[in-house]
Amino acid sequence: MDPITFSIIRHRLFRIVDEAVITLKHVSGSAITNEGHDLMVSLYRADGSLLMGGVGFLHHLTSAAEACKSIIWRFEGDINEGDVFLLNCPYTAALHTSDIYLIAPIHYEGTLVAWSACFVHVYDIGAMNPGGFSPDSVDIYTEGFSSPGLKLVDRGEIRRDIMDTLLNMVRSPEMVALDMSSMIACNNVARDRMQTLMAKYGSETVDTACASLIDQSETLLRERLRELPNGRWQSRQYFDVKGETYRVLLTMTKKDDQLTFDFSGSSEQSPYGINCSKWASWGGLFAPLFPLLCYDITWNEGVIRPIEMIAPEGSVVNATRPAPVSIATVGAIQAVNNAACTCISKMLSASEKYASEATAVWHGSHFAIFMFGRNQRGTDSIGILTETFGGAAGARAIGDGVDVGGEVPNPISRMANVETMEWTFPIRYLFRRRQQDSGGPGKHRGGTGAEFAIVPHDAPDGGIHYVISGKGTDYPMSEGLGGGYPGANSNYRWVHNTDAANDGANLQPFAQALNDMPGEKENIAWGVYPLMDDDALYVRWNGGGGYGDPLERDPAAVAIDVRGGLVSGGTAKDVYGVVLDAGEVNDQGTVKWRQTLRAERRIGEAAE
Amino acid sequence: MSQSTDGKYVVASDVGGTCTDTVIFAAGEPIRLGKALSTPPNFADGVLNSVRSAADSMGLSLAELFAETRLFVHGSTVVDNTLLTRDGSVSGLITTEGFEDTLLMTRGAYGRWGGLTEDGIKHPVATDRAAPLVPGERIRGVPERVDYKGEALRPLDVGATEAAVRYLIEEQGVEAIAVCLLWSFFNPSHEQKVREIVNRISPETYVTLSSEIAPVPGEYERTSTTVINAYAGRITRDYLTSLQALLKGESYGGPILVMQGYGGLLPAEDAASRAIGMLECGPAAGVIGSRFLGQLMGDEDIIAADMGGTTFKVGVIQGGEFSHAREPMVDRFHYVAPKIEVVSIGSGGGSIISIDPRTNVPRVGPQSAGARPGPVCYGQGGTDPTLTDVMTLIGYMDPDRFLGGTVTLDMDGARQVFDEKVATPLGLGVEEAAFGIYRVAAAQITDLIHEITVEQGLDPRDFVLHSFGGSCPLLCGSFGAELNVKRIVVPYAASVNCAFGLVSADIVHEYTHTATRPVPSPAAEINALFAPMVEQAVAQLKAEGFEPDRQALEWAVDLRYGRQVHEVTTPVRGTTPFDDASLARLTDDFEALYERRYGKGSAYREAGMEMTMFRLTARGVMDRPEMEKMALGTTDSSAALMGTRRVFVDARDGMAEASIYDFEKLNPGNEIAGPAVIHTPITTIVLQDTQQGRMDEYRNVVIEFG
Repeated sequence: MDPITFSIIRHRLFRIVDEAVITLKHVSGSAITNEGHDLMVSLYRADGSLLMGGVGFLHHLTSAAEACKSIIWRFEGDINEGDVFLLNCPYTAALHTSDIYLIAPIHYEGTLVAWSACFVHVYDIGAMNPGGFSPDSVDIYTEGFSSPGLKLVDRGEIRRDIMDTLLNMVRSPEMVALDMSSMIACNNVARDRMQTLMAKYGSETVDTACASLIDQSETLLRERLRELPNGRWQSRQYFDVKGETYRVLLTMTKKDDQLTFDFSGSSEQSPYGINCSKWASWGGLFAPLFPLLCYDITWNEGVIRPIEMIAPEGSVVNATRPAPVSIATVGAIQAVNNAACTCISKMLSASEKYASEATAVWHGSHFAIFMFGRNQRGTDSIGILTETFGGAAGARAIGDGVDVGGEVPNPISRMANVETMEWTFPIRYLFRRRQQDSGGPGKHRGGTGAEFAIVPHDAPDGGIHYVISGKGTDYPMSEGLGGGYPGANSNYRWVHNTDAANDGANLQPFAQALNDMPGEKENIAWGVYPLMDDDALYVRWNGGGGYGDPLERDPAAVAIDVRGGLVSGGTAKDVYGVVLDAGEVNDQGTVKWRQTLRAERRIGEAAE
Repeated sequence: MSQSTDGKYVVASDVGGTCTDTVIFAAGEPIRLGKALSTPPNFADGVLNSVRSAADSMGLSLAELFAETRLFVHGSTVVDNTLLTRDGSVSGLITTEGFEDTLLMTRGAYGRWGGLTEDGIKHPVATDRAAPLVPGERIRGVPERVDYKGEALRPLDVGATEAAVRYLIEEQGVEAIAVCLLWSFFNPSHEQKVREIVNRISPETYVTLSSEIAPVPGEYERTSTTVINAYAGRITRDYLTSLQALLKGESYGGPILVMQGYGGLLPAEDAASRAIGMLECGPAAGVIGSRFLGQLMGDEDIIAADMGGTTFKVGVIQGGEFSHAREPMVDRFHYVAPKIEVVSIGSGGGSIISIDPRTNVPRVGPQSAGARPGPVCYGQGGTDPTLTDVMTLIGYMDPDRFLGGTVTLDMDGARQVFDEKVATPLGLGVEEAAFGIYRVAAAQITDLIHEITVEQGLDPRDFVLHSFGGSCPLLCGSFGAELNVKRIVVPYAASVNCAFGLVSADIVHEYTHTATRPVPSPAAEINALFAPMVEQAVAQLKAEGFEPDRQALEWAVDLRYGRQVHEVTTPVRGTTPFDDASLARLTDDFEALYERRYGKGSAYREAGMEMTMFRLTARGVMDRPEMEKMALGTTDSSAALMGTRRVFVDARDGMAEASIYDFEKLNPGNEIAGPAVIHTPITTIVLQDTQQGRMDEYRNVVIEFG
């Protein structure tokens, strides 16, 4: 294939995905899609293998491929031009029920030549709890509508019976209808543009280019793997749900040009929805693999070929029906993301050429907090607190992590403005700022997370409620790398009145810190809670992991962080070993104190 | 001001990154052009040099020219330059207590990935947020709170504010202070109090309030805008003041009007307090120039493309209106201000062709050989193959007549370097590889134009393509054909289009009022929101000398569907002030615009609609330059025929015999059949196979598809 045509077709394919993403955001118009970028669009070959992965939540790229393959198998002989299929069953291919895949065949001159697939996190899916994450569910049957594959659009005509049935099962059906329209429009754009591409270059040329593109990615990744040392690397991720602790244990083995991810030793599946299915784990390990190992390689089937996965059946990373999985994307999948990030980074660190690409874990624990209730204009509203998309970057071999700098599996997320949130929900923010000491200490500091507090404001019902499915409160999940400490864990407090506080003189309507708030500050993480009357919700989200030994951090950088309020004086001394006098580094004192700390470490090691 | 009749000349100077262009108009006289190198950081010197070069061509001294000048119109890259070089004032920021980190957090990763290309986004480990213009130690929160209705829940703490201001000025040495408090666009009283306090403590400190510079919801973008304005404000003010003094020193006593990024002019005194408005005003002027040319030619739907040495830029005009940038950025900073949308890619004549050694995939740009050493064929020591070298290899450049014969092109050198660095690695012959690179460049442009037309619901087939700059006319025959545009126009004033735009613009004041009103609302209530803006606008235009017949007030309303994030600015086409009929028409228009922009089925009527912002554009209509119109003569172009040459013809997939013409000898009315090449003093126009060219009465070359 000539390199010129090849390069033009490659760029066109990327533009097609990009345009389809824009269509999705335009038509959907929802905050989670537009602000959080909680979406994905990709192109697949006629056999369902990944052709061109778009920039969205990356753990969906491979599971949507499985969804395509499943549709091809289920509907064999009944796949026609203009059809659109729906699939959201986690035990077939989806990640959880509320991330609905719409999958459409692309025909050219009557022949099936490719597929497009996309998802958005729909407004609601009819689970026990509103918004899709359903902490109260203990099995898949209470996690809402779930289909292993149905035909939603037949030869260009929406099947009203199907659509109406679906909308009949969800809260705010009109919003879900809009989500569905956005995905149909997105697939239409992808189909039209692919057909235009084939009309210009011929379907055979395009198909050849697609095949070469996949082969090229495979060749490039295998070459890269051969440049990296052989070895085995491990990461353990712990996470807590309702007082129980779960473990994801990952052993990654690199041999020649193969990578094997083995999850043997991970916990058994949970009665809570933090589990994930096999295809979800498969996607979860690719989410960091694409940007960490394939930043300059096209994300397609070629990247998948050198990879293998072992995931024990009945474990949190390969749950069996009817285990609940509605929290998977911020539960076990995220633990898989983190563990894979650490294993890959450890491997990169072992190579002189690629050591600069290594990174500690970014934003190890999402917090999915969905508000629901009547807003100040009397409208029923459901929506996520988008701060979870603010994230926190892990420290890197090349420098500190970016404060509130996002996450690796969703490279272009962002959070909404305070003014947007106060306009949308009957709430008022007391503060929203970077959190001191949240970035994992290290030679390079992890990016900080942040903290915020909200109170009800102008709510017609005196307030609203929220569903929370958080983890990473008992254990930090943003692992450090190469001696770096983990980022701080997350913390959620339901601040409510004690009897003493009920005398009316207790309110601190402009509190600037958790400690300024009167009342009981109850730790919460799981379930439905009120934000009514005098309640407040305080959230502190995790920082990114640190990189390297904090005793090797440039003392001047520590002093800057202390002056900027990002690191406390205590941490500067105890963890970084930096002695400060009135904010300035005491050089001699620091050298001596660091020697002392190093000596203490050796004593500690000897004692063990 | 617009009606001033002293003097016959209108002088327009546009300061770009490399050159400062000047055009001079006078009724009944030909357009005069001037050019000089820009002179950062003292741009005003380059302005005088550029005007002087035009005056020279008229046989006048600067003073003689200015004595006869009634209007000086100006566009400048001074603000962009201040930001790129980080050369602004030492600035501080005052926010609502508890929200001091808004600027530094940039809504999370948004400030990290914003402005990155695909390659950057796919490689997050290598990306960082840009260092903020105001570092953390110069940000102070003050106790106060306004809510989403504009109600002050907590008064501004004056003592704490004084302490914050003293800290910034005395301990941090700030010269400028940006103030951005939550919900200030609904209730600016606290921000105004902060300014009073700053003025009391330090009258010379430059202050920008968010409620004045960007009175719109969204505190991150509003803060960023306010900070940019404070940071560049003093330099902008000083620059315009010194320009005024310099011109006065050269005997110019008339008004100075300054181009804004939204395509309108402001008197220099007003522009001096709105640095943010001058961002990207050059490309905006280019689009304005294109619109004016379209008006002369009877075209309202135009794709305005400009390609020079380093960059390809394009804007869209539809029905005579521009589209506005939705999330504008400068450098890597977000801001919010009305701005004509102009998108760009790093692809120009000097763009270097490279081959990815691992994938063997060729790339055009974004690195550029610049003016020095420039393309290999210039023979100035360039060793990297560029797009211009490709153009010589495929026969588009005349080696002996480049830039009017002032430069002889080194064909052999270009061929040798291209063969070694591009063709051989690709495993192709030189010609074959050169055709390929030409197509890659054309495809990149096609994709970019697709982005701002098709992806926004516009069909390129309805548009005329204006092809500006030294490199665009070489490629427009190919990408214009692929986009299937109506026809292509290569304008006579192609090289000074931005300066040309300056003299075809109006004085434009933008007013906004942020408030939320349901649909339907009584007409009287909405009119009451507009009334103070109308009063202010009329007084302003009157003070500037515009009589009522020269005043145009354009109303617009931002609407959205309930629970949806997309807002659409909808121009009011019915009568103003509103009556029930015109208000109803507004919502109909909104729905049509929404579906056009966001796609069929995107409208969500069930949730109702709401109005979120009320906009008034007040236009003081300026005189348009009179363009000399020539008579159309014979269609026979043989007098300009220089001979034939083998050139690359896209549709034939190879070299073919083409007629070569001398632009200088073409006359209005002459027709040319492609494949053909027209050499002009500043560019080369290529007509592809089956394309028909003709010179119109303004000496523009119009290309139609056969």
